[in-house]
Amino acid sequence: MPAETAVLKAAVGASGEKRYSHSAGDMVSQALSRANDSELIRAAQRGDRVAFESLVRQYDQAVLRLALHLTGSEPDARDIYQEAFLKAYRHIGNFRFECSFYTWIYRIVTNLCLDHLRKRQTRREDPATIMDSSGQELDLLDRVSDDRAGANPERDLMRRELGSKIAQALTKLTPRERMVFELKHYQGLRLRTIGEMLNTTEETAKNTLFRATQKLRSTLAPMRR
Amino acid sequence: MKCDWTKENMVLYIYDELADDARFEMENHIRNCAGCREELESVSALKQDMSAMPVLEISPNLLAASRMQLQESLEHAEQNRSGWGMFIFDFAGWMNQIKLAPALTAALLMIGFAGGTITTWKVAGSRTPDVISHSPEVKDIGVASIESILSDPNTNNVTIKYDTLHPQTLVASADDPRVQQLLLLATHSNRDSDVRLDSIDLLKAHAGDNDVRDALVSALRYDKNPGVRLKALDGLKGYVRNDVHVRDAVLEALLHDDNSGVRSEAIGLLDPVKADSSIREALEVLAKRDPNQFIRSQSQRYLASTPHLD
Repeated sequence: MPAETAVLKAAVGASGEKRYSHSAGDMVSQALSRANDSELIRAAQRGDRVAFESLVRQYDQAVLRLALHLTGSEPDARDIYQEAFLKAYRHIGNFRFECSFYTWIYRIVTNLCLDHLRKRQTRREDPATIMDSSGQELDLLDRVSDDRAGANPERDLMRRELGSKIAQALTKLTPRERMVFELKHYQGLRLRTIGEMLNTTEETAKNTLFRATQKLRSTLAPMRR
Repeated sequence: MKCDWTKENMVLYIYDELADDARFEMENHIRNCAGCREELESVSALKQDMSAMPVLEISPNLLAASRMQLQESLEHAEQNRSGWGMFIFDFAGWMNQIKLAPALTAALLMIGFAGGTITTWKVAGSRTPDVISHSPEVKDIGVASIESILSDPNTNNVTIKYDTLHPQTLVASADDPRVQQLLLLATHSNRDSDVRLDSIDLLKAHAGDNDVRDALVSALRYDKNPGVRLKALDGLKGYVRNDVHVRDAVLEALLHDDNSGVRSEAIGLLDPVKADSSIREALEVLAKRDPNQFIRSQSQRYLASTPHLD
């Protein structure tokens, strides 16, 4: 394979293949899920708490995962989770089906996370360390199983160092840049959806992603030399 | 000019956000431009590096604790809503409605006026006691909660005590549709776990019905009481092979239920479908990580008894 083609293939990677991977089955199940959501939302708007709890169960793992990855703290992630769903419960009457429930709940969560990141930026906390519920420091990389045959302590150490440098580099981003990067890189959302969630345009989301990657590249560049 | 455009859009390219024509144009340019190829390598390396801090699955403990805390907060919020909260006038919400729907506002005023007139006329007329002279549909009774369920195996009769504004009792055959409706209501609308246990126990025999099966799946997924979840599992036993929703719910219970008794029961149910690839995947995880010795060894046994087809 010519070198230039190899670079292109490596750059696009799995995501390049993923663009065509939405099967008819996926679309049918998404449509069914949306229809089911609508019924649950209408019931929740009539005051049916069981229906609201069913909605919560559909989205709460994704919400908690996002909050934990962004805040790096289990207690903070739990607070955001509570506040987001309580807010959704109180305001579900205002939901007008103009966007999906998924976008709506994510809009609430991203706003809360942005507030959290802004507060932390003023307090200048160090989020590279991650706290569990009991306030103990937690190493996320400890929880990644590395069953590869070639895994060795040296590689493990390098992986840890890289992880901690990445966490530091992410703190250099503005809360909005961090959020767009998180939603795109780690959560794999489309920029159009990210724009909707952050009440902005797709174009602005693109520019923010560009700025975020430029900053990360310059912060992490010394590490690669 | 072309290089500037390529560099500005490279991030969109690696995150698969470029339209097909722009993507084609960029790939053509990169093939012939060493500088842009180098830039692409650097941006791709960043994408790869950033994956060293992965998004991990949240721990079951964190999820369970968050859900429990939320449930309490929701209960509290609901009490507030039905208590003093309902007397507090939501001015902002009202303004929103007025702004968005003037026709609705006019209609509400007219309904209010007509309702008031009719009520006054009724109060002025003869007061007759509210006596139900016919056998109403369950949904018309307005059931508030279900108090108890008693079944008599000799007569096939079921006695269900439930509350409306006044407590009422229904005695009817287990096959009576009203009994079925009350039992379905009892599976999720009552806080008394004995009632939920009894209702699931009776509904098990009718799991061929889609509504009943949905109720059993819902109980297995969401009921707080492990006993109820076990009964629901028992009811779903015969449907694992043919109903994919049942299979998913059992698999979910096997992987995430915090009660090892429920997980042990769930693993037994998957015997007929243990060769299924999704089940196999789950069994591999359980064989390594489940805290319960029985589940680990049972998973290993199932894995050993089914050939791995690549």
